[in-house]
Amino acid sequence: MSSVTLPTPPSRRRLTLSRRRQLAGVVFALPAILLVLGLIAVPIGQAVYYSMTQWDGVTATWIGPSTWSQALHNPTLWTALRNNALLLLSVPFALGLPLGIAVLLHQRVAGWRIFRSIYFLPTAISWVVLGLVAQRFFAYQGTLNSLIHFLGFSHSNTNMLGYESTALSALGITFIFTMIGTNTMLFLTGLATLDTSLEEAARIDGAGRWRIFRSITLPHLRRFIQLAFVMTVIALFSALFSLIFVMTGGGPGYATTTMEFLIYQTGFNQGDFGTAALYGLILFVLTAIVGIVQLRLIGSEE
Amino acid sequence: MLVVAVVMLYPFWVMIYNSLMTEAQFLAGKGFSLGSWKALASVIPVGQEVLSSTIICTASILIILLIGLPAGFAFAKLRFRLSTVVFLAIVSAMMVPLQAILMPEFVNVTKLGLTSGYIGAVLVYSALGTPFSVFLFTTYFRGVPDELIEAGIVDGLGYFGVLWRLVLPIAVPAIATVTVLQFIQIWDDLLVGLLFIQNTSERPITVGLAVLSAGRTTSIPELMAGSLISALPAMVVYLGFQRYLVKGLTMGIDR
Amino acid sequence: MAEITFERVTKIYGDDIRAVDELSLHVAEGEFMVLVGPSGCGKTTALRMLAGLEEISSGTLRIGGNVVNDVLPKDRDVAMVFQNYALYPHMTVGQNMGFALKVRHESKSEIDRKVREAAAILRLTDYLDRRPKALSGGQRQRVAMGRAIVRSPQAFLMDEPLSNLDAQLRVEMRLEIARIQRLLGVATVYVTHDQIEAMTMGDRVAVMRGGQLQQVASPQDLYDHPANEFVAGFMGSPPMNLLRARIASDDGSPVMTLGAQRLAVASRYAQSHELPTGAGAEVVFGIRPEDVDVLSANDAASISTRVERREALGAEILVHLSLLDAEGSSAFVVNDEGAVVSRPTTLVAKMGPRADVTVGDTLAVRFNPDRFHFFDATSGQSLRRVTP
Repeated sequence: MSSVTLPTPPSRRRLTLSRRRQLAGVVFALPAILLVLGLIAVPIGQAVYYSMTQWDGVTATWIGPSTWSQALHNPTLWTALRNNALLLLSVPFALGLPLGIAVLLHQRVAGWRIFRSIYFLPTAISWVVLGLVAQRFFAYQGTLNSLIHFLGFSHSNTNMLGYESTALSALGITFIFTMIGTNTMLFLTGLATLDTSLEEAARIDGAGRWRIFRSITLPHLRRFIQLAFVMTVIALFSALFSLIFVMTGGGPGYATTTMEFLIYQTGFNQGDFGTAALYGLILFVLTAIVGIVQLRLIGSEE
Repeated sequence: MLVVAVVMLYPFWVMIYNSLMTEAQFLAGKGFSLGSWKALASVIPVGQEVLSSTIICTASILIILLIGLPAGFAFAKLRFRLSTVVFLAIVSAMMVPLQAILMPEFVNVTKLGLTSGYIGAVLVYSALGTPFSVFLFTTYFRGVPDELIEAGIVDGLGYFGVLWRLVLPIAVPAIATVTVLQFIQIWDDLLVGLLFIQNTSERPITVGLAVLSAGRTTSIPELMAGSLISALPAMVVYLGFQRYLVKGLTMGIDR
Repeated sequence: MAEITFERVTKIYGDDIRAVDELSLHVAEGEFMVLVGPSGCGKTTALRMLAGLEEISSGTLRIGGNVVNDVLPKDRDVAMVFQNYALYPHMTVGQNMGFALKVRHESKSEIDRKVREAAAILRLTDYLDRRPKALSGGQRQRVAMGRAIVRSPQAFLMDEPLSNLDAQLRVEMRLEIARIQRLLGVATVYVTHDQIEAMTMGDRVAVMRGGQLQQVASPQDLYDHPANEFVAGFMGSPPMNLLRARIASDDGSPVMTLGAQRLAVASRYAQSHELPTGAGAEVVFGIRPEDVDVLSANDAASISTRVERREALGAEILVHLSLLDAEGSSAFVVNDEGAVVSRPTTLVAKMGPRADVTVGDTLAVRFNPDRFHFFDATSGQSLRRVTP
């Protein structure tokens, strides 16, 4: 038996367990807080300031809120916003296709594990690489044309990336392709957490396949769909950059210039940091809006 | 199913097929040669760039883990004042696209002289990856029973000891998940590598490829060969950590 | 030296939730004290305060004579067995058990020796190299105990350690734990909601409810002389019958009215109990099912009842009886205003397994006159006079 002396030096008397716990909590979380604060929160504030200046990256001359109204009159901005909006149309496909695939995979057809690996593989490749390959696909001498020829339409050729009207679609298609991997994986995980006893109960009650899907599977997947939606849109607003850079450079004209690309262009090609910062803020607001809309639309139990 | 699989594998086919030709053969439409692969190294410093990518990835992921894991534990188990608010703030930072803060970020980093060397890029990647890392670790650790931690306390550990000896060993699936996802994200990223690394000798492979493709005298087969090299590591990492990924994603979802 | 004293210990959550209310309790060295009560009664909170895992809002807690209110768990030298065992999943059984010693930087050979000793006591020697997930529930429970034993602490704290085991294992482990505790002679505080565990394992049992200590006594004392209605109804299964009755005790021979029937009460109860005086005074009368005898025929001291339900348990039959009123049908007790009182007048009696009884039968029962209990109708306190 150990001897029973329990000294409590005065300085330690108030350092109870709960105090220690709180201290540890703060200490452990601090680096993360500082990093996020310094490299994400602070720049947001700075962007607000700089957006109202004439800035070339070195010197900033204050102008004031008139820069905002000026920027809003720039037609390029609106083109970019329009492009972003149009691309949003691809989101349902980027969610729906993976959903279907996930459901199929969930049925555990033979070799499903292999299929699962294969489907996710493109995601592991960088957007840059995918963009390069996509470029090959859509090019004048590219695979798409070969396919069309193969199918018998030998007299029509497309040069999707060369025309304003079709370039954006080509981009959108590539985007969907890339997102299929991640979203399928996500939905598959979601389906895996679904309690099969619910499905069985419904089946006993006489519900058909479609009914079951609608009333049981879908509601359960709601959280996952939410997450997939958010992730897809964020990718649309930021990761798409790599695709654009490599596939079209924003063109032809400004046909494939989206906000994220415009920011880069304005800032680094034109040297207009101030306006670029402003565009950055607009992008931020857009993303925030999407986030909030998503909460309302798809619902959340937060 | 098969159709989709074929579609998915298509990019690889393209790359492999196209890279095994010389420029001349490519233009002619057919041929087979390893020439392009050999030529690749002379066009862009492939080995060096892959090395750069590796360094950047490793450093960033290390920081993301080192910062994210303790923070995740803190938010999940160590209730402290304002922890919920701070947690939500960090998680919402996940939704900030880089481009939104690009300009100030760039200027800050440049002014601090961090664009020569990898530090600038690593810091930016770390900052971008931390919210996700914190989110994942927090949700994962919420599933750890309180009793386990209390047992450690009664046995004589302080909270740091609990973190080091009890929490860390059981966090392996979460660590694997964060590592895989962040590796793919960082290795494949273009923008940060493009802007935050000024020395051409320190370029990551994605930038190298992008530059190559934007060049005037681009040889497609060489480009394809380079693409394959770039794609390989991420694929390997993914395939290696596959089973952890599914587990980890599940943790992140049912809170 | 390892005694435990709670002096008016209180735990308040938020502004007004008193999880533990002025608990005063003393556990002697080597004593096995059981804290028992329904969920939410504060027993687990009290245990956690003892361990140092919850802060004490007010009052003083002593271990071995020293005030430990602000002492960290690791400095209190107590070992805890958790309800869900809380075994470290990435360590082997041996490492789990030796962990606390390792933290204290004891020598490897010492740790080894102590772990082996504990493993021998708990019959875990063959499992020392296994991981927790490769063990059965009962084995995990033993490892959790082993972890506590190895430390040779001043006190064992156990939080419902048997509640996750199946019935048979529970019986086995009850004996095991009691045996080990006697062997090691360490003061133990054991929390449970199961009154059978309390009765069989404790040297003394502390019954808690709503944060307050109801009574602390040896199991038999609690059974024979419960301090209030709650304790009376809590200990013993099936629970004590508690019936509302009127009592008239002016002339020293009390007479009790149950429903419409009257029953004489032995006069010694008037001395041993503070029975209310005055006409029509209400009281709660308690009688345990095993003290209710079913008679073959009515006599002067019997009560007429009707069988409402019967439960055959194999070894015995439990009959639920309702009291008959003058007209021969069941009735509820009414008070002065004629309103029906909610306290039921069904009582439970035990009969032999072969008893021939059906629902609807009329039975005459007799209460064992030595085993009457009386409680105050309003406060529920026992009316027994406690000799100072």
